[in-house]
Amino acid sequence: MATVNLNSLISSPRMKSARLTLSILMRNPIGAAGFLIMLTYVAIALILQFAPFLLGISQPGIMVTNFSNPYPSPPSPAHPLGTTFPGIDVRTAIIKAIRIDVFSSLLVVGVGAAIGSVVGIYAGYHGKLIDQAVMRITDIFFSLPFLVLALAIGFTLGRALNDVLLALIIVWWPIYARLTRSQTLAIKNELYIKFSLISGNGSLKTIFKHIFPNTLTPVLIQMSVDLSNVILLIAGLYFIGFAAESPYLPELGSLISYGFPFVLTAWWTIVYPGIALLIFSLGMNMFGDGLRDALNPRYRT
Amino acid sequence: MARLLNLVLKRVLLGIVTLVGLTIITFVLSHAGGPTLAVSTYINPRSPVPAAEQIKLLEQQFHLNDPLYIQYFYYMSGLLSGQWGYTDTTVFNGPVTTAIEYFLPNTIELSVLAIFIIITVGIRLGVFSASRQDGIADNVIRVLSFVGIALPAFWLALLLQETFASNVVSNWLDVLPLDGNVSRTLVINLPWYQEGISYPTHFLFIDALLHGDFAIAASNFLHLILPAFTIAMTSLAIIVRMMRSSTIDSLHQDYIKTVRMKGIPERKVIRYHAQRNAMIPTATVLGILFAFMLSGVAIVEYVFDYPGIGQWIVSAFLQDNIAGIMGANLVFGMILIASNITIDILYLFIDPRIKY
Repeated sequence: MATVNLNSLISSPRMKSARLTLSILMRNPIGAAGFLIMLTYVAIALILQFAPFLLGISQPGIMVTNFSNPYPSPPSPAHPLGTTFPGIDVRTAIIKAIRIDVFSSLLVVGVGAAIGSVVGIYAGYHGKLIDQAVMRITDIFFSLPFLVLALAIGFTLGRALNDVLLALIIVWWPIYARLTRSQTLAIKNELYIKFSLISGNGSLKTIFKHIFPNTLTPVLIQMSVDLSNVILLIAGLYFIGFAAESPYLPELGSLISYGFPFVLTAWWTIVYPGIALLIFSLGMNMFGDGLRDALNPRYRT
Repeated sequence: MARLLNLVLKRVLLGIVTLVGLTIITFVLSHAGGPTLAVSTYINPRSPVPAAEQIKLLEQQFHLNDPLYIQYFYYMSGLLSGQWGYTDTTVFNGPVTTAIEYFLPNTIELSVLAIFIIITVGIRLGVFSASRQDGIADNVIRVLSFVGIALPAFWLALLLQETFASNVVSNWLDVLPLDGNVSRTLVINLPWYQEGISYPTHFLFIDALLHGDFAIAASNFLHLILPAFTIAMTSLAIIVRMMRSSTIDSLHQDYIKTVRMKGIPERKVIRYHAQRNAMIPTATVLGILFAFMLSGVAIVEYVFDYPGIGQWIVSAFLQDNIAGIMGANLVFGMILIASNITIDILYLFIDPRIKY
């Protein structure tokens, strides 16, 4: 019974479309590399979440300090990537930080996209006054640089990780609202939408069956690029000292900030965490690029 | 002409609406902690008056017991009459408006150089890359622009500091200064430069030229190069990619074939025919790129210890100074709104097909 269900699931049109997308993506070297980078980072994050001992890590939630030997020491057999102030092993700290960074950016982008899509589709579908109001509100959010707005919101909320994430979600939904609104506006007068409404489907069903799937492509592409933007923003906020309430929380930006006073004498405290950040960010951009091609109808025939 | 005026007026009005919305956000954020948090910085622990009494007095003085919408009008009248509160940070101590007056010119100097880099280098590189499609140069530029988009600005800033510091990579790279906006030895005992602020315009570069002091102007320019390059990096990479793809698109158009058949040299075909049209899609993202750039300003000024609005907002944030954060937010908002209006109008000139 289970196998039959599985077969019908695999051969369902939606799964076929997803498999086609994946196969086009994997044929593009840039997209494939980005996809693999994303899988690797998510795998590291998951292993650290559920079985940290597999990577030989005992305290995944905190960077272990060593105040008896606090100053950065260069890479050595005991510490392959060196140590940073105060006596933190850079290699394990990076692995621990990947978990928090990856999950945080996934959470911010996921929740932001969900809120933005709901608001955007609603505004685009109903139009008129609601549409105008939503557009003016997003205008306000777009009139501030992300980092500056996040600083202002974060200041009011507090300095824990949850506050940072909440601040970033507040900053990050308007992009998706605009994106889904313009998509909705573009298709809401199409015949198949009208047909769906005439044939007795309610607004809600029409939105879910016809409008939402059509907005999904640009949203997915934007999400993959935003995973990179958000991780850079989180790291930036932590770098300038957002984490006052949680020192030694493993995060790549705050790891780099520990090396900041030693920038001219201990390059390894800065270079290695930055490379971990750069690879993820690069991977997400490459993935987004591949996804754009893979979801482009021109390449799907 | 009347149409153009109409458009400008409409955009300006929308900008003002957005600005009012922005003040609502800053008002809500500064009041979200409740009245007690707002007055906590004004309490004097050494005063003989008990703290509870002081809070009551302050609440009366700042109208904190009135309904919120009335408080908002007090807030707005304060903003309009130039009372933006006081900022008490390590980089500046005094009224917010004075802080903006001192820091904004430095940030503008930095941004102008960054925009210059973005537009000149970005457009050239993109067109160059397109003209050598799939060649070695094109592939190198494509990879670099990919990396450029993904680079964390603060990390790039730190790497540049490491590279250009003496004794780290090599001694001969020790040519660019790493922090501040001018060599401190040059500005000792100058009558027109006091406590990090130059007179009369506060633009150090312009002031130095006004006083005929070219050494200071040169030093200021050298100090701008690394931070400006860092700020420009992300937007530069995006522009290169956009210019490349839109130039390639326009090179496949029929009118380019016509121009080529007329025997016009390829260099001129690209310069005067393909590039011009390739600018149109690029111009649409300029506003977003400008926002990206300003986002980088805050963090890059902090790393390079550059006395601008960005460094000020970071130190206001670290030292719990709410007036400084909200003031800087309003300034950034005004700059971005004004630049978006300008870009919309410029767009008319880049693409003459558009009629409003």
